[in-house]
Amino acid sequence: MAYEKKPARPAGGPRRRFTRRKGCRFCGDKDLTIDYKEIRGLRYFVSERGKIVPRRISGNCAEHQRKINEAIKRARNIALLPFTSAHSFD
Amino acid sequence: MRTYETIIIVHPEMVGDEYAAIVEKFKKVLVDQGSEILKFDEWGTRKLAYMVKKQGRGTYLYVAYKAPAPAIKEFERRMRIDESIIKFQTVHLEKGLTIAPVAAVAEGTPSEDEGEETEAEA
Repeated sequence: MAYEKKPARPAGGPRRRFTRRKGCRFCGDKDLTIDYKEIRGLRYFVSERGKIVPRRISGNCAEHQRKINEAIKRARNIALLPFTSAHSFD
Repeated sequence: MRTYETIIIVHPEMVGDEYAAIVEKFKKVLVDQGSEILKFDEWGTRKLAYMVKKQGRGTYLYVAYKAPAPAIKEFERRMRIDESIIKFQTVHLEKGLTIAPVAAVAEGTPSEDEGEETEAEA
């Protein structure tokens, strides 16, 4: 063969680069609330650049990811969270 | 009547009497429009996540209230006119105002064990 074929991944499961908790943390703990005013809870779902962490990384279920998404956007709108870290000031 | 909450960012140079006057002014606007203030909170001056009207800081006000729909329109119109309000956001609370004190943000979640199900048996 002219090219090297990459070895197929073992059938045990896909390679995981990050060891993340499985399952949605909001489903596991009903006391956790998603609130756009509570940026401490949202920080975890925002990258250093201010981007929203995707569901495959954060492990959220669809419903809670949607709520997180909305909360982050609201928080951005009212200047609690940055849209980007590129333009820092003072 | 629906429940709404509004966050207002006041110009950081508004302090003392000027600031108090603005707070009273907008409270009055709400009440005059036939709304009922459920909760009012002053978060104080904070650093903004990005520049708003060339300001890096802003004084946050939070107000939750019950109001008829036209009142929101008027309230927001007045805020747009006032130069000392640099930003605001109104959100409709579908579930109404939950009486959960936002001030109770003591410590973060201390222990995070995976897969542990805590079933409260009270």
